[in-house]
Amino acid sequence: MELDKFSYDNKIVRAFIIVTVIFGLVGMLVGLTIAIQLFYPALNFDFQYTTFGRIRPLHTNAIIFAFVGNAMFAGVYYSMQRLLKTRMFSDTLSWIHFWGWQLIILAAAITLPLGITTSKEYAELEWPIDIAITLIWVVFGWNMIGTILKRRERHMYVAIWFYIATFVTVAVLHVVNSFEMPVNWLKSYSFYAGVQDALVQWWYGHNAVAFFLTTPFLGLMYYFLPKAANRPVYSYRLSIIHFWSLIFIYIWAGPHHLLYTALPDWAQSLGTVFSIMLIAPSWGGMINGLMTLRGAWDRVRENVVLKFMVVAVTAYGMATLEGPLLSLKNINAITHFTDWIVAHVHVGGLGWNGFLIFGILYWVVPKMWGTKIYSNQLANIHFWLGTLGIIFWALPMYVSGVVQSLMWKEFNPDGFLVYKNFLETTVQIIPLYMIRAVGGGLYLTGAILMTYNLIKTAYSGKFIADEPAEAAPLAAVPAATSGGWHHRVLESKPVLFTVLAFISILVGGIVEIIPTFLIKSNIPTIASVTPYSPLELHGRDIYIREGCVSCHSQMVRPFRSETERYGEYSKAGEYVYDHPFLWGSKRTGPDLHRISGKYSDSWHYNHMLAPDAVSTGSIMPAYPWLFEQSLDLEQTAPKIRALRKVGVPYAEGYEDTANEALMKQATTISENLNMEGIEVAPQTEIVALIAYLQRLGKDIKSEKVAER
Amino acid sequence: MKSTNAQDMNTRLVNHRNLFRVTLSIILFVLIGFPASAQDAPKSFMDDPVNHPMAPLYLVTGLLFVTLILVMVVAVYMLRILNLFVKQAEEERAKRLGIPYAPTVSWWSKMWDEFNASVPLSQEKDIDLGHEYDGIRELDNHLPPWWKGILYGSMIWAVIYLFVYHFMGSLPLSGDEYQNELATAAEQIRAYQASQPVATIDENTLAYSPDAAILANGKKVFVSNNCQQCHRADGGGNAIGPNLTDQYWIHGGTIKNLFQTINKGVVEKGMPAWGKVMSPSDVRDVAFYVMSLQGTNPPDAKKPQGNLVAPEATVAPADSTKGGK
Repeated sequence: MELDKFSYDNKIVRAFIIVTVIFGLVGMLVGLTIAIQLFYPALNFDFQYTTFGRIRPLHTNAIIFAFVGNAMFAGVYYSMQRLLKTRMFSDTLSWIHFWGWQLIILAAAITLPLGITTSKEYAELEWPIDIAITLIWVVFGWNMIGTILKRRERHMYVAIWFYIATFVTVAVLHVVNSFEMPVNWLKSYSFYAGVQDALVQWWYGHNAVAFFLTTPFLGLMYYFLPKAANRPVYSYRLSIIHFWSLIFIYIWAGPHHLLYTALPDWAQSLGTVFSIMLIAPSWGGMINGLMTLRGAWDRVRENVVLKFMVVAVTAYGMATLEGPLLSLKNINAITHFTDWIVAHVHVGGLGWNGFLIFGILYWVVPKMWGTKIYSNQLANIHFWLGTLGIIFWALPMYVSGVVQSLMWKEFNPDGFLVYKNFLETTVQIIPLYMIRAVGGGLYLTGAILMTYNLIKTAYSGKFIADEPAEAAPLAAVPAATSGGWHHRVLESKPVLFTVLAFISILVGGIVEIIPTFLIKSNIPTIASVTPYSPLELHGRDIYIREGCVSCHSQMVRPFRSETERYGEYSKAGEYVYDHPFLWGSKRTGPDLHRISGKYSDSWHYNHMLAPDAVSTGSIMPAYPWLFEQSLDLEQTAPKIRALRKVGVPYAEGYEDTANEALMKQATTISENLNMEGIEVAPQTEIVALIAYLQRLGKDIKSEKVAER
Repeated sequence: MKSTNAQDMNTRLVNHRNLFRVTLSIILFVLIGFPASAQDAPKSFMDDPVNHPMAPLYLVTGLLFVTLILVMVVAVYMLRILNLFVKQAEEERAKRLGIPYAPTVSWWSKMWDEFNASVPLSQEKDIDLGHEYDGIRELDNHLPPWWKGILYGSMIWAVIYLFVYHFMGSLPLSGDEYQNELATAAEQIRAYQASQPVATIDENTLAYSPDAAILANGKKVFVSNNCQQCHRADGGGNAIGPNLTDQYWIHGGTIKNLFQTINKGVVEKGMPAWGKVMSPSDVRDVAFYVMSLQGTNPPDAKKPQGNLVAPEATVAPADSTKGGK
């Protein structure tokens, strides 16, 4: 048979590799910065654009979407062409995808420090960027499906399955979670409120980890690990079973981020059981990866690429066992809101994603430049720095999580909390924060060495822009399938395969989300809960802008230690006007859901101005700009209109008088502060923030009074 | 405002230094492996390890442990060297006889294969699917039995879990769990208080006395970030709370007033009700401690607020307790 002659596009891969390395370094540097800010708050510089709350999402977005995302695209573009024996469907689409994605990253890098954020974790970018992401993602999918359709390889290899699942699921997650009502070009409110918003967000958040950080990288592992080890993949049937069970079960597990919250119990239980059922499907990937190295372990010792990959796959196995265990209620009761979760995420991020990316880069760069790696020794040093970095990163955070959580929960025999002041528990773990920063520093140093090594490698070779290849064209009629296995047939029909994958990932979301929206009893209403006043609304938007939610939860869980410390536990009905929800996922500082009335206005005023002058040893940054900037009263009306459209019962025409109400409330607070000798204009931002803080959890308190 | 800022900066500097000191001491605790509460337990091993009765036992056990590890390391190392010799000998023998060298399969890898139901490496060709993707071949090994066990086991567990929690209702969901926790705690507190007859504190008959133990505990409560946040560590007051060292009081200056202010708070003025989170004796101790601060005249104290209250007779000897300040 005549062989087709064609070439693989390496240029697009090179472009994605370059940005991977650049954004990797940037993202890690920002990570190191915020790690240091946690024990040395002066590093916030009292400057709004570099404060923890604003640049923490910059770190997560840079790592997830810029570093890991670009690496994913580099790996997918490299492996897909070769696995399907064809060039990408369209070079133009490839480049639109590349530049579009980089522009999105640029937009994120500008908007996040400016405080333009939706506050929903890993979905912080505002609505115009969300639309851009959707468009670029479609371009990526179009290019991918096109490439699959014009393939010269009848049967799709397992890596391709994972790429398809990634494309389909991320599209669904992103679109559903990004439903939001614009206020203006740079501000929107989530379409969903409270409990529902929380459920949709963590359905998204959990599966962003699953389908952005896991499935594409399993696909990459299935290509690069057997290539680098030169060994056959261990078990085809394991691939099939773990692929389908993984994508089906993963989607259900989101509610494990919301155990013991106001989410209905049945949804929490589904989150728990599906997380436990996820152990085997996840481990299927690890087994297939590690067992592929059977008979090649002697090479692992010498081959730095394999070393990185082995640690990556092992870290994957550890993280995917740990995750389900953290979903058990009794373990979650201790670990949730603590540094343990942060450690867990970083075992996955630094170990699985980071190390797999490093392994792939060390393998693929010499290949694409037709040369050998510049320095094996330097790569080995990188490996050890990275490994030590992970250990120094994760271990102190595990200790910190447990220590702090137990301190939060410790009672003395009289029945009072031993550590009445949250801060007492914070100062205990600061040394651990320091060790963690050392770990991050080691990891970053390794990545810098890699950058140097890769640049030197590229210069020592010659870039092969279009790698020549040849293959037989696909026969018009499919060849008889070997063994008559029906899944073998399925794996030759990409469209049907995509549809089935789509159905598998829809089931879990539909079963959990739809009843939470439709069945009234899931969110019992509370009569005394009313919409926020215009001033409180502005204050809430400042709370969102400053990323307060990064460190403060608004979810008192039904534990004695929490109701004793914070007050009555949080009820679903209290959040019905919260667009978006602000439950938070980490308590670096105390919960704020019952903060109203706990301190005086002047306390908040002084505390926001200089937290550690008020609370000795506090690691909270100061917010001096809130005392200089004024509210934009022009935005009051559009805000109220937007919220009314998503169901908040502001009366028609309320927006016309809203600013009067706002000024009235602000003047009261300002006069109140004046009595304490503080001069502040009513429309200053701090006044709105104080109004919001003094409102938090108040509704249910007045309800209690009314009951008596 | 300006002077407060300078003051703030000053306190901050001090705080950073304190932070550093706390840090150093805590790193030591972490290294020893007992970070949180070792400080408070006065009779623990860590306070005086040398004279502790268990010290010899710990020492011997520790040494034994270290020796054991060393022996293991040496043993493993010896085994590896022996293995290497055997391998070399076999290779040489194979070379001499002119047959290809086939390494013997260790019992460990045999057991490992069995555990995973893997087809041995030597028979790998039999399960090769006969296809390659850019040079990648696929085997078709069995699913590891233990893996299937986890898969099916977790599914069965899931069904049982949902059934027990949501259909039988035999295990408490979060709301009930909370009520149970409260009930258990109430029972424990009751039992504790019954076993530990505490002198009830009657605020009407409370009389101040500079008892060293009470003042020490009062000070501890005061500075562990409860009171000092708003009244400064030395009681001199800051932008939020009033000066506690002068003779001017907003809510009354008798010991009874102090006890009540601390116990019930003045919430509208920002003073929390500490009686909700502290035992009555802690409230009393802190009230006594505050009383003992009378006339300490800390530098930069806040200017007087409220009314002048003539010192109670019992306050007179307070000077004798100032020694430590």
